[in-house]
Amino acid sequence: MPNPGSIAGPVASLINEFSKLPTVGPKTAARLVFYLLNRPRSEAQSLAEAILAVKDRVRLCSICFSITEEDPCPLCTDERRDRSLLCVVAEAKDIYSLERTSAYKGRYHVLGGLISPMDGIGPGQLRVKQLVDRVGSERPQEIVIATNPNAEGEATALYLSRLLVPLGVTVTRLAYGLPIGGDLDYADEVTLAKALEGRRTL
Amino acid sequence: MRLSWLALSNVRNYAALDFHPAPGLNVFIGANAQGKSNLLEAISLLGTGKSFRTNREADLIASGFQSASVSGGAHVRAGSVNLSCTVTATSRGTRKAYSANGRPVRYAAFLGTLNVVTFVPADLQLIAGAPSGRRRVLNGALAQEQPLYYRDLVRYQKALAQKSALLRSADEPDADLMAVYNETLVAAGTALMLARDRFVTAANAEAGRAHAAWSGGRETLELRYEPNVPYEIPTGEAIGAALAQRLRAAAAAERARRIPLAGPHRDDLGLLLDGRSLAAYGSQGQQRTAVLALKVAEYTVMHQRTGEAPLLLLDDVLSELDADRARAFLEGVEAYEQAFVTATHLPHDLPQSRVFTIEAAVLREIASTARARAC
Ligand SMILES: [Zn+2]
Repeated sequence: MPNPGSIAGPVASLINEFSKLPTVGPKTAARLVFYLLNRPRSEAQSLAEAILAVKDRVRLCSICFSITEEDPCPLCTDERRDRSLLCVVAEAKDIYSLERTSAYKGRYHVLGGLISPMDGIGPGQLRVKQLVDRVGSERPQEIVIATNPNAEGEATALYLSRLLVPLGVTVTRLAYGLPIGGDLDYADEVTLAKALEGRRTL
Repeated sequence: MRLSWLALSNVRNYAALDFHPAPGLNVFIGANAQGKSNLLEAISLLGTGKSFRTNREADLIASGFQSASVSGGAHVRAGSVNLSCTVTATSRGTRKAYSANGRPVRYAAFLGTLNVVTFVPADLQLIAGAPSGRRRVLNGALAQEQPLYYRDLVRYQKALAQKSALLRSADEPDADLMAVYNETLVAAGTALMLARDRFVTAANAEAGRAHAAWSGGRETLELRYEPNVPYEIPTGEAIGAALAQRLRAAAAAERARRIPLAGPHRDDLGLLLDGRSLAAYGSQGQQRTAVLALKVAEYTVMHQRTGEAPLLLLDDVLSELDADRARAFLEGVEAYEQAFVTATHLPHDLPQSRVFTIEAAVLREIASTARARAC
């Protein structure tokens, strides 16, 4: 990595900006900057505009709290989507992962994080009340909780099910276990135990 | 199990080391601060992913470098396996990465591949010391022996930390959220307690046997699991019910004092001689002998349950023991397949062993001793 003092100011400052991004270290940041230096101005222009457009034109959907250009978002206004299913995710980005599968046809609710008192995040810091209100007004039949299979995801799922089950909805969780194409020989005991817990009748 | 080769890169005072230990006893002799303990620490890192000396993992990295790496090849029952553990400095501390046979693996899968039992001078204070030290013995052995024990331990500790934060955060914490954490604490805690109960039962038999042989049957050593939450019989059902009941009963006091009050994080391991607490009534000599018996039991139970002899790491501890106790200990774990021993001077009366000197991180083999040598 070049000594920051030895290179042009704008280059150093763009490297600095890129290295603030998640998963981007100073080496990757420098590679991105030198790549952009060799590209036509128009390409840099459209990148800069796309970044600003994200900030200027994107906002939160007032129903599901996903990010959107129009409020309510296309997912909430699409009449073809199944109103009896509501999928709860921690972050808006999780919707994109689920949508890529094309396997889910219901609607979404973005919590805005996971419960973690250690980090100062209780139910009040998340969109839990809004979820309960939606269940009351939209009357879905099933809530699919799609939080990560880590400690916080698990606690958040258990908490939500305590709140929602008494409202008369079915609450389900994504199953986790063995990766497709994986080999039982290579699965560690913890993954195998989880897969066993999530087994089902054929 | 047996370590066939060991390679260090930028670990403490080792810039690079390539070492092929022998089966049986490997003895490292050297003055202090030459790298004896660092070598054993590296072996423990390969087995448990943790140092037995420090929680500051940045200290493992040789100064001026970004990362330290230990790799090694082991013969285990399932065949041979190559392991590595790399500690890398980050802006927020350190990050560790593990691999087995060249594939990156998570810590939970790495742990338990190469089992080690360590014995260091600080262990001689186990009986007089705080319960946390005795819990660490139970957790260390069980986590290596049973991957699911480690999973439950982590689940328990995370839920406990969240519950503590929740209790601190408000006078009247969210009751549903408290119930969620208590549910996890009961599920994971029950598994921990059941495993500890069974382990101590097995260890009690082994420690008692070793101790009786040493004392000529004059004294009786007993190891006793002392759970914070008592239960009638050691079944998952009975333990789970007792723990859930105790957490319900403690709820109001926990809210008032704003800390979690009950559960296996407050368990203890009791050591008794002829029915009397060694911590309260034992002489220093009696306590030391009991710790030796505990270590023999830890080793033997891990061996029995995994079907493989763990590596034995004795860091500077033989010199802390008189010759009789040192010999008694090595005879007590006679089933070891491979052991690593450090000392400032060559201990007398060692069984057949290979002896190396360590000076400024350089190993030199000086001799193979036979037991006859001491005669
Ligand atoms: Zn929406």
